[in-house]
Amino acid sequence: MAEVCSPLRPALIAGDKKPAGVTEDICRALLRPPSALWWGGFSVAFSLLLAGVAAVSYQIATGVGTWGLNTTVGWAFDITNFVFWVGIGHAGTLISAILFLFRQKWRTSVNRSAEAMTLFAVMCAGIFPIIHTGRPWLAYWLFPYPNFRGPLWINFRSPLAWDCFAISTYFLISAMFWYIGLIPDLATIRDRLQPGLRQRVFAILSFGWNGSYRVWQHYEVLYLLLAGLATPLVISVHTIVSWDFATAVIPGWHATIFPPYFVAGAIFSGIAMVLTLMIVARKAMGLEDYITHRHVDAMCKLLLLTSGIVALAYATEFFTAFYSGNTYEQFVFLNRARGPFAWAYWTMVGCNVFVPQLLWFRSVRRRLAIVFVLCILINVGMWFERFVIIVTSLHRDFLPSNWAGYQPTIVEVATLLGSFGLFFTCFLVFCRVLPVIAMGEVKAVLRHGKSHGEQA
Amino acid sequence: MKSRILSIVLGLGVAFSLMLLASRAAMFHLPGNHQDYEPVQPIAYSHRLHAGELQMQCQYCHFGAESSRHAGIPPANVCMNCHRTVTAPLGAVRAEDELAQKEKRAPRPVVSAELRKLYDAVESGRPVAWTRVHSLPDFVYFDHRAHVNASVACQQCHGPVETMERVRQVSDLSMGWCVNCHREANRTGIAGRRVNASTNCSTCHY
Amino acid sequence: MEKHYWRSLAECENRGELAAAAEPEFAESPAREIEAGPSRRGFLKAAGFALAGGALAGCSRAPGEKAIPYAAQPEGLVAGRAQYYASTCGACTAGCGLLAKVRDGRPIKLEGNREQAISRGATCAAGQASILGLYDSYRLKQPLAGGKPATWEGVDRAVLEKMERIRAGGGAVRYLSETVTSPAKQAAIDRFLAQFRDARHVMYDAVSASAILDAHERTHGARVLPHYRFERADVIAAFDADFLGTWISPVEFARDYAARRMPPNMSWHVQFEGRLSLTGSKADRRIRTAPGEIAGRLAQLAAFIESNGAGGDDLAARLLQARGRSLVVCGVNDLDAQLWTNYINHLLGNYGATLDIERASLQRRGSDRDLADLLAELKQGQVAALFIDAVNPVADLPGVAGLDRIGLFVSFAGSVDETAERAHYICPDHHYLESWADAEPVAGLVSLTQPAIRPLGSTRAAIETLAAWSGHPAKAYDLIREYWKDRFDWDRALEAGFAEVPRTHAAAPRWIGRKPAPPAAATPGYAVDVYAAVGMPGGRHAYNPFLHELPDPITKTTWDNCALLSPAAAASLGVGDGDILRIEAGAAIEVPLLVQPGQHDQVVSVALGYGRKASERFANLGPRWINHKPTINANGRVGANAAPLLAFEHGLLRYQRGGAVVAKTGRRIELALTQTHHTLSVPKHLAPAGGEVRPIVREIAPAELGKPEHAETHEELWPDDHPYNGHRWGMAVDLNACNGCSACVIACQVENNTPVVGKDEVRRRREMHWIRIDRYYSGPPEDVRVAHQPMMCQQCDHAPCETVCPTLATVHSDEGLNQQIYNRCVGTRYCANNCPYKARRFNWFDYPREDRLANLLLNPDVTVRSRGVMEKCTFCVQRIQEAKIEARRNGAPVRDGEIHTACEQACPAGAIVFGDLNDPSSRVSRLAHDARQYRVLDELNVRPSVHYLKIVRDEKQQGEKHHG
Repeated sequence: MAEVCSPLRPALIAGDKKPAGVTEDICRALLRPPSALWWGGFSVAFSLLLAGVAAVSYQIATGVGTWGLNTTVGWAFDITNFVFWVGIGHAGTLISAILFLFRQKWRTSVNRSAEAMTLFAVMCAGIFPIIHTGRPWLAYWLFPYPNFRGPLWINFRSPLAWDCFAISTYFLISAMFWYIGLIPDLATIRDRLQPGLRQRVFAILSFGWNGSYRVWQHYEVLYLLLAGLATPLVISVHTIVSWDFATAVIPGWHATIFPPYFVAGAIFSGIAMVLTLMIVARKAMGLEDYITHRHVDAMCKLLLLTSGIVALAYATEFFTAFYSGNTYEQFVFLNRARGPFAWAYWTMVGCNVFVPQLLWFRSVRRRLAIVFVLCILINVGMWFERFVIIVTSLHRDFLPSNWAGYQPTIVEVATLLGSFGLFFTCFLVFCRVLPVIAMGEVKAVLRHGKSHGEQA
Repeated sequence: MKSRILSIVLGLGVAFSLMLLASRAAMFHLPGNHQDYEPVQPIAYSHRLHAGELQMQCQYCHFGAESSRHAGIPPANVCMNCHRTVTAPLGAVRAEDELAQKEKRAPRPVVSAELRKLYDAVESGRPVAWTRVHSLPDFVYFDHRAHVNASVACQQCHGPVETMERVRQVSDLSMGWCVNCHREANRTGIAGRRVNASTNCSTCHY
Repeated sequence: MEKHYWRSLAECENRGELAAAAEPEFAESPAREIEAGPSRRGFLKAAGFALAGGALAGCSRAPGEKAIPYAAQPEGLVAGRAQYYASTCGACTAGCGLLAKVRDGRPIKLEGNREQAISRGATCAAGQASILGLYDSYRLKQPLAGGKPATWEGVDRAVLEKMERIRAGGGAVRYLSETVTSPAKQAAIDRFLAQFRDARHVMYDAVSASAILDAHERTHGARVLPHYRFERADVIAAFDADFLGTWISPVEFARDYAARRMPPNMSWHVQFEGRLSLTGSKADRRIRTAPGEIAGRLAQLAAFIESNGAGGDDLAARLLQARGRSLVVCGVNDLDAQLWTNYINHLLGNYGATLDIERASLQRRGSDRDLADLLAELKQGQVAALFIDAVNPVADLPGVAGLDRIGLFVSFAGSVDETAERAHYICPDHHYLESWADAEPVAGLVSLTQPAIRPLGSTRAAIETLAAWSGHPAKAYDLIREYWKDRFDWDRALEAGFAEVPRTHAAAPRWIGRKPAPPAAATPGYAVDVYAAVGMPGGRHAYNPFLHELPDPITKTTWDNCALLSPAAAASLGVGDGDILRIEAGAAIEVPLLVQPGQHDQVVSVALGYGRKASERFANLGPRWINHKPTINANGRVGANAAPLLAFEHGLLRYQRGGAVVAKTGRRIELALTQTHHTLSVPKHLAPAGGEVRPIVREIAPAELGKPEHAETHEELWPDDHPYNGHRWGMAVDLNACNGCSACVIACQVENNTPVVGKDEVRRRREMHWIRIDRYYSGPPEDVRVAHQPMMCQQCDHAPCETVCPTLATVHSDEGLNQQIYNRCVGTRYCANNCPYKARRFNWFDYPREDRLANLLLNPDVTVRSRGVMEKCTFCVQRIQEAKIEARRNGAPVRDGEIHTACEQACPAGAIVFGDLNDPSSRVSRLAHDARQYRVLDELNVRPSVHYLKIVRDEKQQGEKHHG
């Protein structure tokens, strides 16, 4: 990727690195034993994961009744978590695929971990549609497969069936894209390792990469193609997820605005999550030179933009409800803002609309601590957005006799924490065994390359 | 040389395991599919003899089939209609007669071992516990009435029972098997008559 | 498996020969249905592990399942075909005719007997649920002597020998029973008591009508209970009489009442009451009246009528207009009030017209005065021998003492209740479905009871026990035949279930009364009002989980009895729903509060029949998991017993008394309500402009009749994908007829194997009833209007649930049914979320079905649903299938009215009509085009197949009647 970088632009990678230096920096993290900090993080994440496993196995053994759901509110934490995690995933694909197509050089130092994050998020998301069913052991019925029932297929009109395809496709493509991107770096590590088991493993993983011109050329083409493949997914997946609600008759769900609204929200929360992780990784792994303030700044701007879109969506929802003259619709939104779940609604608005406005100020964007806190808040807000959409719409629908409340049980909370446990466990392991920064791509955007050109 | 022997051995091994697999694959059934189930019954009752040779009507014994969802296993007193008088195979009775004539005495009554079980059941009032052959899952409601009255032949589902010594489940009784027959019946009719064999789910599931 | 099963039933029967006889009966597939609970779930789970199990299954063979025929098949019995036996309901003394549906030897459902005059095809909730009593594993399997199992011979010997001593000593012998409606049994009792010098038969009713009987003794010289004929009444004035809910003969009254409430020329009904009763909820006008004021009100009304309507009282005017076509009824057990009631009916010439005292009702004959005397005797230890039959005085009555000073104390109770546990001998009676019996609920109508199953335990009919103790033992059957010999054709009567007998009776008793004395003034302060709840008409039903889980039609509470206070009263006490109150009136009890609109501000109402020993069995009912809370209260029982609040006042058991003290205890519990938002208007602060009230239930005045509102026409985006060439099943629900009695709810539960989930699950809003009755209030809380709306799956043509189910587990049939296929359902709950009516029910857990005996009640024609599966109303598709197949078998089409859904079948008001919408002449399609017709949430264009008919209420004063 030896494009020329304009001298007018500030360096993407600080501290005038040489390619060797880059490799040095990135691989150092992998070759030295894990730090106490890492162990601390890992133990926390892993115990959360175990709690989640316990909760889920108890629920599968006993029944969905162990969740706080009822006849009126049939979905709550389960689908909220699902949508939340799918949303998180989106930033990764956005950064790695779309920004790649737009030739956004700054992406190079974050795309690797962003993609990893996507994978892990989609893994977390994928769990929920399965465990939320009453009979998870039959969840495979959601996929069409030849059978002796006549045959009996699935209902292709059901958004839930579309979800299955959307999510599985999304996971496959992202995984492939991510892995292809990894290959050169895997080879690099292979070459730096002493002969031994670990070296052999990396040798296998790197598919006998030899860094020759032809290999690089094929690689570039394939990478571009996959980027092209992944891009529509950024839009499609969350669009389809949003149809779970948009195609329903329940006021508060039945809205055409959902697809763009959900996609924007997804990217919003995703970027926030990437930032959260990056800021930590940067400090913990000493990657200040690679993940510079410039990256943070760029992503903060993205946050501002998407936050704006989300805010607009909230407003539009209210307007359409008011303008439709549909009293059921109007009631749902009044009920969101002033009903029993108003606290959830205003948490959502506060975190997703008001908090991000701070990012208008350069000084805020430069203070990583503040940015970090903001990102956490935004993720809280985005989780509540899904919660509000699902629960407040259901708990008071058409027939007043059905109106009911909702209260999560400990099992549900544990399941939510468990999903975070899974996510962070995976991410921490990733940080240990694979290069968090795409060396191959970073080297291509070094000043170093250019300075040579000057001398010539 | 050595390598050749090795490869031969390997080849044989593979071939052998393949054969094993093939045989297993042949008898593979999906769960719930009990096709070819042929249990041993408490009394060695022969459908071939009764329905085949003696050409008794199925519904003489399974009299529920026309009026109820269950065809029903005949109660012992139905068997007794004939077996009050018929107590053993003809051959055995003849043999006894000849023996009696030789020995110049009145023939003793001959009772076959199998029928003895029936008589015990009747005397003790403890019914014979047959082993169920055709059994559908509990969430499927099959109704003999509807089929018998639409003049569906018993054999269509139960196979050539009149040729079986011991009853065997001939069809796999899978949902696909049912539904396809219903579709077929709607297309071609049964015994020349148009029928409405519903393929609604609630025809069998409720 | 069967083998093990039968051993276990044999244990609980300890009767070899029954086991032998019963074994084959159940051994065909129904036995598997019995087993079904567990095994079916097992199967579904197993099916789930298909992939894993695949390899295993390769070599798997069918389970070694047995198919056991009869040894000798009874005449005319075909395995799998239901038989119906005409019988009589024993749930209360009303004596409704029944048809007991018996499937392979097991009674599994009760249906009303269309020909019998009391039932006319309907039943009440308690009647429907009473079949569970047959399979009650707590019932005694043999007599007890001193609490230990004994043999009949032993007990007989002991009792007879004790009786001998008493006869010699000439001690007092008392026979205490509820109203005996069986003439044969009455004869047996008389014969039995005739042996003793000092013997008396005392009858009392847990809900007494003694005052009515006494009043008629005064005014007509005969202690009779009139047979009220609501179908003949154009104007009905009811004073604290819940005749649609629990009063005397609710099924019959509901039928008659509904018959005259059909627009356009409806009867007019005003209700005076302190507690919002089911009857009050249907009244055209309802006037809150404290119990103490009732007599005064009646006297005032009488005055108006005497003065021929002078004073311009609307009610008096209406009554006078309808002389002989009006009816004044009063449910207060107070002589003054009843005397005034009789006086008014006399003035209006209603006797012989709307009150039949020639062929009087025999459904209540109890005398509170006799009861009071007996209790006094018991206190003083003057009773040598006490025989208690079908009543539970210790729990029913206040201040029952001295039971331990009785020489011989015998109870005929079927199970050990508060009274029986103190008896020396318990000689358990049969369940009514096991026994031969007769009943004469109304003079001249003999209703027969025939056994639908052989007794499950070695119990003995009380009538046989009495015969044995009277010196000439006989079988119940013979005693009854003997009694009725050549009064009617026995066989025909047995087939029909009843017979009309000519009444050899002198002319109707004449009016000999005069104007009653002015009533005493009401006592100030709170009046406590102990009432019988629709779901718990008496303590004898306390064993019944169906009834405990049935939401009270008005309060919507389950698994508890509450203290009902008006919003104003609750506010003044500073308490809210669930706060435990201490109610003191003589004795004190503690019950949780429920704020009840329409309640009189000075009245606190508590339901009787709760807090019984029988309800201790529910200690660990419902699914068990970490957050599970028990169904029973701190007292270890369901609800609290209100009996201590009752008292005898001049020879009458008073259910309503002034001078009660209500105080809060500071403790509170969470009530299990099935409805928490009670009006069709959304909260003010959330109300969108013009959208405060939702048009779910529609109510009109008589003047607006015949004006159909313009129906919205919907633009179709796509061609109609459901042609419906054959049948098209639909339903019509007349909200004007429906009085919310909830018989349909229980009927549905029994028919469709719906589980009982327990208080905690109901509290979590997870009750499983397929049909619920939404109750909406309107108007100011002190003067509420009530609307009852049965709500079940609406079987939409454009069903929102169908499009979203990913596995095609819910799809449309070509007969307009919205089918739910349990075995295909993976339980995403998407369909339930997307159902605008929230008519779907989800199996959150494997609801325990551990009681093998109770499982015998399971309907073999309906799958028992496993955990994680969605379920809902199916329009009783099993009945539709049965009818269609039978019709095809007989070569005739299904006729209108041939198929009755369980709810329709049970409905006393005839509010539910099921049928074929494709048949223009069917009742349902006529109703679907009625001017009152509307469909709920029609604007969504989901095209429900259930049509509702608007409520008609005439609230206007008569003067302003015309300009409506």
